[in-house]
Amino acid sequence: MSAEPPKEPVKYVETTLRLPYHYVAGDWRATYLRALKDKRILGSRCTKTGKVIVPPVVASPESFAPCDPELVELPARGVVTTFCIVNIPVIGRSIELPYVAASVALDGAAISMYALIQECRPEEVRMGMRVEAVWKPDGERTGSHEDILYFRPTGEPDAPLASFIDRL
Amino acid sequence: MTARLRDVAIVGFAQLPVVARDEHRMAAEMLYPVVREALAQCGVERDDIDYQVAGSTDYMDGRPFGFVMALDVMGSWPPRQDLHLEMDAAFGAHYAWLRMQTGEIDTALVVGHGKTSEGEPARVLNLQLDPYYQAPLGLDPVSTAALQASAFMARTGTTDGDLAEIAARSREAGARNPDAQVRTPASAEELRRTPWAVEPLREGYLPPVGETATCLVLAAAGRAERLCDRPVWIHGVDQRVELQTLGARDLTRSASARLAAERAFQMAGLAAASDVDVVELAAATPVEELILREALGLPRRGGPVVNPSGGPLCANPLMSTGAIRLGECFRQLAGRAGARAVPGARRAIAHATQGHCLQQNLVWVLGTERRWA
Repeated sequence: MSAEPPKEPVKYVETTLRLPYHYVAGDWRATYLRALKDKRILGSRCTKTGKVIVPPVVASPESFAPCDPELVELPARGVVTTFCIVNIPVIGRSIELPYVAASVALDGAAISMYALIQECRPEEVRMGMRVEAVWKPDGERTGSHEDILYFRPTGEPDAPLASFIDRL
Repeated sequence: MTARLRDVAIVGFAQLPVVARDEHRMAAEMLYPVVREALAQCGVERDDIDYQVAGSTDYMDGRPFGFVMALDVMGSWPPRQDLHLEMDAAFGAHYAWLRMQTGEIDTALVVGHGKTSEGEPARVLNLQLDPYYQAPLGLDPVSTAALQASAFMARTGTTDGDLAEIAARSREAGARNPDAQVRTPASAEELRRTPWAVEPLREGYLPPVGETATCLVLAAAGRAERLCDRPVWIHGVDQRVELQTLGARDLTRSASARLAAERAFQMAGLAAASDVDVVELAAATPVEELILREALGLPRRGGPVVNPSGGPLCANPLMSTGAIRLGECFRQLAGRAGARAVPGARRAIAHATQGHCLQQNLVWVLGTERRWA
């Protein structure tokens, strides 16, 4: 056995981990995702407050009351409640920079969902802008969030702040 | 212990029956009905509870901050005082108990959640070991438990047949527990014919992989009596941890369980473990049951009823196995144990553990009376 100390100190040890996961979507999310394939967006209604949450959840995080398992359909249009202009590339995403990532409150939904805003210049996007979903073509939708390619302006008049300030 | 401790009781416990894999619900969706049921048992709404603690592990969830999903189903609005531990919920209960000792809170929800079936427990739990020398060997909890079993059998002369008998006793008990995952009894003879998992542990001596959600409700004296007709009082509790390096400790003995038990018994004024009626041990193998019996001062067989629920050999959901020990003792002492009730049970010991080979141990002493003479 050699007592020679190593010439170069060991600076790090590289270990590779492999941790596979097999997720359960849950019946509520599965129903939601399947509906996207048919260009339908589903939410769940709180049995206490009547507020509609999208994607659907088993209970309202706000009221702690259960949601009605009978999911409700929401229109694929709504309002930009807040947004940002992304100028740095994101891993796994190949969108042309800069692009707009926004929160969109669908009409009738109590909370907003994350969405891209396209078909307009980033500097044109504003809070209150009316937008609608642009879907992947028929036959290409898989029942995933990516079935909604992005939202685009509808050209309708802007929604007043008071109509969405509680739905950011 | 000279300082006067605050009397705290368990006043509610709910769990889902443990299953191998719930295909219909995410972890948070499993947790929601359990929290509702625990509150309903106490006849209160979420606003009546001061504090909440959750036990789960992001490594099992497979996502950073996985635990925050549980906040959405725990009634966390308006904003609550909350704590999360990457530990079994039984350890969360200890934190809640400590908070109550400060006098800052009177009531707490303690939940355990996580879908063991979504990740691969052997890979995930391997990461509890040190990343330089032990984890790269691919040791999982079954192989480290087998190392422990070999050493224990060599020290004590315990035989394969002895292990089979302990496993058979668990299986017989588990058949009476509607929340257990394995509910078919099996004889020692049958279990001895099951194949080696990792020798000297046979498949029949190991827990199934399963998942559930659990919720305990704790309350301090003054509140406890109003939330539960038969509160189960916490008389003593202590937890101790040992070295991580497996080679640096005697795997055949549990110094931390022994010390935790000594301190918990001292706090409780309990002379000996044999003075209780029921013991629930988070023993993942028959060998761990024997090591824990020795550490707590229980005989190898006989004495108080050990694991009338069937124990972890019949249901071992990660992050909830310890909480279920506490919950089972609550059910026994509060008269809610159904067909597995130990007649006239008044005192109990609940045990929870974390890490490979009983690295960290938590011991509770519980009783039906608020004070013992």
